[in-house]
Amino acid sequence: MLIQQVVNGLTLGAIYSLIALGYTLVYGILTMINFAHSEVLMLGAFMALGLAALLPAVFGTGLVGLVGMFVLSMAGAGLINVLIERFAYRPLRNVSRLAPLISAIGVSIILQNGVFLWISTQSLRFPEPVAIGQVEVFGATISSLQIIILGLALGLMALLHFFVEHTKLGKAMRACSDDIQTAGLMGINPNYIIALTFFVGGALGGAAGVLYGMNYGSIKYNLGFLPGAKAFTAAVLGGIGNIRGAVLGGFILGFLEVLASGYIPNGAQWRDVIAFTVLIIVLLVRPSGLLGEKIAEKV
Amino acid sequence: MIFRRIAAIAAVALVAACGPKEKTIKIAVAVPLTGDMGTEGQGLRRAVELAVEEANAAKRFPYKLVAAPYDDRADPKEAVNVANLIISDPSVVAVVGHYNSGCATPAAKVYARAPVAMVSPAATNPEVTAQQNSPDWSGPRVVFRVVPTDDVQGSYAATFAAKKLGKKRMALLHDKSPYGQGLAEEFKKGFLAQGGKIVSEDGVSVGDKDFKALLTKIKNDASKPEGIYFGGLYTEAGLLLKQMRELGLNDPFAFISGDGAMTFGLFDVAGDSADGAYLSIVGVPADELPSAKKFVDDYKARFPNDERKPFDHFGYEAANIILAAMERAGGPDREKIIAELKKTKHEGVLGTTQFDDKGDTTSKIVTMTRAAAKKRAFDTVR
Repeated sequence: MLIQQVVNGLTLGAIYSLIALGYTLVYGILTMINFAHSEVLMLGAFMALGLAALLPAVFGTGLVGLVGMFVLSMAGAGLINVLIERFAYRPLRNVSRLAPLISAIGVSIILQNGVFLWISTQSLRFPEPVAIGQVEVFGATISSLQIIILGLALGLMALLHFFVEHTKLGKAMRACSDDIQTAGLMGINPNYIIALTFFVGGALGGAAGVLYGMNYGSIKYNLGFLPGAKAFTAAVLGGIGNIRGAVLGGFILGFLEVLASGYIPNGAQWRDVIAFTVLIIVLLVRPSGLLGEKIAEKV
Repeated sequence: MIFRRIAAIAAVALVAACGPKEKTIKIAVAVPLTGDMGTEGQGLRRAVELAVEEANAAKRFPYKLVAAPYDDRADPKEAVNVANLIISDPSVVAVVGHYNSGCATPAAKVYARAPVAMVSPAATNPEVTAQQNSPDWSGPRVVFRVVPTDDVQGSYAATFAAKKLGKKRMALLHDKSPYGQGLAEEFKKGFLAQGGKIVSEDGVSVGDKDFKALLTKIKNDASKPEGIYFGGLYTEAGLLLKQMRELGLNDPFAFISGDGAMTFGLFDVAGDSADGAYLSIVGVPADELPSAKKFVDDYKARFPNDERKPFDHFGYEAANIILAAMERAGGPDREKIIAELKKTKHEGVLGTTQFDDKGDTTSKIVTMTRAAAKKRAFDTVR
C-alpha cells in the first residue's frame, strides 16, 4: 500500500510542480502573480483535445502522435501566455502593482467564459493517447499512464533546469530576475526575456494541462481553477520565484493530499484542510517559503 | 432628444408586442441547462416542451402555453435566484423542477411564499417534500414529485448488493451533497439490516478529480471490502470508476451507485471503465414502459438529433400532471392548481400517478441497471 500511495503522490505532485513552475518563473522576473496561468493550463488541455482529433492523420497514433500532440499543445499554450503578457500586462507594467493583477484576473475570467460559451459547458472526453496497461511492482499496481505522466513531467523539469542554468538565454533570464533594469543596461532586451519567460511558463502549464486531461480522462472549462490554486500554493510553499522551490512545493503538496486521504480515517473530505494547515504552519516558520531567500529591500 | 426618440420607439414596440395577441401562460422549467448536469436539464426542457406543444396542438386551453426554461446551474444559490425570478413573473403558473435535491430543497421554500406549485421530475432526497411538515415551514404545501425517493432507492440497492450479488462487506462513498450523502446513508441502513458490514465511509468533494489515494486505501483495507457504494453524480462516479480500473479493482469488485450517476455522461467521463457498474434508477426506464411507447416515439420524431435522457419521461409526466390540474382548476390560477395537484390521479407514461400527503408519488418502483460502455447503454438487471 505504501508504494502504491507513493506512486499516487508522485503523479499528483508532478502535475502540481509543472503548473507551479509557471507561476514561479513569471513571479521571479516581474514579481507579479499571473492569475491567468490556470486558464493557460486549461487551454493547453483543450488544444490537445482538438489536436487529438486532427493529428492521427498526420502522425498516426501511438507514441509519435502523443509527442506531436504534446509539443504542439505546449507551443500553443506558450504563445497564448505570450499574447496575454503582450496585450494585458505589458501596457500596465509600470503603472502600478495592482493594475496587472486585476488585468490578470480579467483575462482569466474572459478565457474561462470564452471556452464555456463557445466550446462546451460540459465535461468532454479526453482521448487515451496510448493503450493503458497495468504493471505490478512490489504489490503496487502502476498504470502505464502514471509512468508516462511522471516521465514527461520529470523530463520537462530537467529540460527547464538545463535551459535556465546552462544556456545563454537562461543566463539572461536569471539576470533579469536578479535586477531587470541593470540587465537592460547590460544589453539584454528585457521585453524579449519577459516574453520568453511567459512562453516557457505557458508551455509548461500547457504540458500540465495535457497531462491532467490524460490522467483524469475528461476536461472542462473550469478545470484550471483548482489545480491552479493548489499549484500557486505549492509555489509559495517552496518559495515563490525559486524554481527548485516550485518543484519541491508541488511534490510536498501532492504527498500531503495523498497521505491525508490515504491514511487518516475519513481523511478524503479533510484533505484540503490538512494540506493547507500544513502550508500555514510552514509559512509561519519560514515566511518566504522552504527554499525562498529573504529579499533585501531594494533602495 | 435622442432619449425621447428611443423612448417613443420603445413605446411603439411595446404596444405592438402587447397588441391583439392571445394570452400566454408559462410553465417554468427550472433545471441545470449549463454545466455538467446541463445535458440532463436540456433533456427535461425538451420533454416539457413536447408536452406543452402537444397541449397547444390539441387546443386544450384557450390560451397559448410555453415552456419557459430557467437555468439553476445545479447550484443551490442560483436555484433560489431563479425561484425568485419565477414567482415574480405572474404568467408562470407552475414549475417543473428542480433536477438536484440540493437545489429543489431551498427553491421549494421560495415557491411556498408565492405560492406556486413545484413538481420535481428528478430530485430524490426525501427532505425535498418532507421539509413541508417541519414546524419552520411557512406557507402552504406546494411540492410534488413524480419520482420515488432515495430511501426506496438506497434500500433497494442494499438488498440487491446483499441478496443478488452476495456481498457481505462494502465500502461507502458519497459526495457530501444532500442527494449523495442521503442516498449513501439509506444504502447503509438497508445493508446493515441485511446483515452486511460497512467497512469504511468517506466523503469526497464535488469537483475533486483525484481519488487514487482513497481508492488505494479501500483496496488495501484489512477487512477486504467486496465493492463500493457511491452516492453522487456521474462526474465523480466516472472518475472513481476510471481510477478503480487503473488500480486493478475490476469485477467481481462491484461499483454500485444511484440515478445521479446513471446518465450517458458517465461514458464520456469513464470511457470503457464504466463497463459493469451497477446503477439504480427510480421508476422504470422509458424504453421498458409500454405506457411510454408513444412518448418515446414522439420524442424521437420531435428531437431526432438529441439523445433522450433517463429522466425525460418524468419531466414529460410532470408537465402533463400540471396541465391536467390546470384543466381541472378551470384556468391559470396558481393556488387552484396547487389544490388540484393534491387530488391528482393521472394515467400517463408512468402508469397511474397519485401523490401521498407529503406530495410524493405513491409508486415506489426502482430498477437496477448495469452499464455497457461499448453500446452506451444501461441494461436492466433482472
